[in-house]
Amino acid sequence: MIPSDHFTRFYNEVFKFLEDQGEEHLEAYWLEISKNQEKHTLKLFKEKGLKGMYEYWDHIRIEENCDMDLKLDDEKLELRMNVCPSLSKVLDNDAEPMKRYCDHCAGWIGPLIDKVDHHLVYDVIDRNKPQCVVKIFKDKEKAIEEEKNAKLLMEWPKKKK
Amino acid sequence: MNKNNLDQKLRYNDGGNVHMDFHGATNTTIEFIINKYGIDTMNDIFKKVGNDVYKDIKDHIKKGNIKMLAKHWQHFFDRENADYNISINDEEIILTVNRCTAYEHVRKLVGNVSPNFCDQTIKTNEALAEDTPYEIKTEILGEAACRQTIRKRA
Repeated sequence: MIPSDHFTRFYNEVFKFLEDQGEEHLEAYWLEISKNQEKHTLKLFKEKGLKGMYEYWDHIRIEENCDMDLKLDDEKLELRMNVCPSLSKVLDNDAEPMKRYCDHCAGWIGPLIDKVDHHLVYDVIDRNKPQCVVKIFKDKEKAIEEEKNAKLLMEWPKKKK
Repeated sequence: MNKNNLDQKLRYNDGGNVHMDFHGATNTTIEFIINKYGIDTMNDIFKKVGNDVYKDIKDHIKKGNIKMLAKHWQHFFDRENADYNISINDEEIILTVNRCTAYEHVRKLVGNVSPNFCDQTIKTNEALAEDTPYEIKTEILGEAACRQTIRKRA
C-alpha cells in the first residue's frame, strides 16, 4: 500500500511521467481527477453554492491537516492556504518534485467550478512556496476584476470564458 | 549504533489526520494510466516510487537494516487502522494484512476496486528490494488481504 499520507508523492511521479508525454496528457489526467471529485462535490456545490464549497473545503482543511483560512461572504468564498501539506510533502521528498506541481489544483478545481456556474480565481503566488489564494465568485465580472490582482494566475483546461 | 535499531526515525514520519479518500484517487489514477498507456507504464511509475520516493528505506535495506521497512509498515498501517500482524527478526519480516483499510475504503467509495489496485504494493515492494541482498514477496490472500515477506535472497 502506498499510504494515503504519501499519495502526493505518488501523484508527483504521475505528473512527471505525463508532463514528458505532453501538455494534453497532463490536462486529460486533471480532467479525470476532476470527474472523480465530482462524485463527492458536484451535488453539494450545485445545491448549496458557496456554502457547499465552504463545507467541502472546511472538511478538507481538517482531514488533510491544512494551515488554511476560509472566509465566506455573500459574493465569494476565499481560501487562503498558509501552508499547503500537498506541496510541502512533494518538496520534502527524496524524489525530484515536478516543477509545476501546483498547476494540478486549478486543473481539477477549475472545470468543477465552471460546471456549477461559479468563477474561480486561482493565485498560486509562487510555485516553489506551499501557499496560494483561491477565490470563488458568484459574479463573473468580479472574478475578472480580481484576476488583475493575482501574482501567478492559474488557468485550466477548457476554461469557461 | 545497532544497525537494526528501531528507534531510528522514519524519513517520512507523518502525523495528524488521515485522508483516506486519497486511496480513491490512487484507484482512479491506476485505471487512467493503464487504460491510456498500458500496465508496463503503471508498473514503471510504481518502480520510481519504490526507488526514488522510498530511497531512504531502500538504502537501509541495502545495508541490511530491514527493520526500517517494518517500522514504516507498522507506522502507516496503524495510521490507517488496518488489521494486521507482523513478525520481525533480523533475517526476515512477515507482514500479514488481514483487512486492508485502503482497499476497503476504495470499495466503499467507488464500488469496483481496480483489479490492479494491489500492484501499488507488489511493484513498489519489488523496486524496494531490487539491487539489494533481499527480496520482498507480496502474496494476495484474497480481497483486502495480503502477506508481504522480506528475506535474504536464496
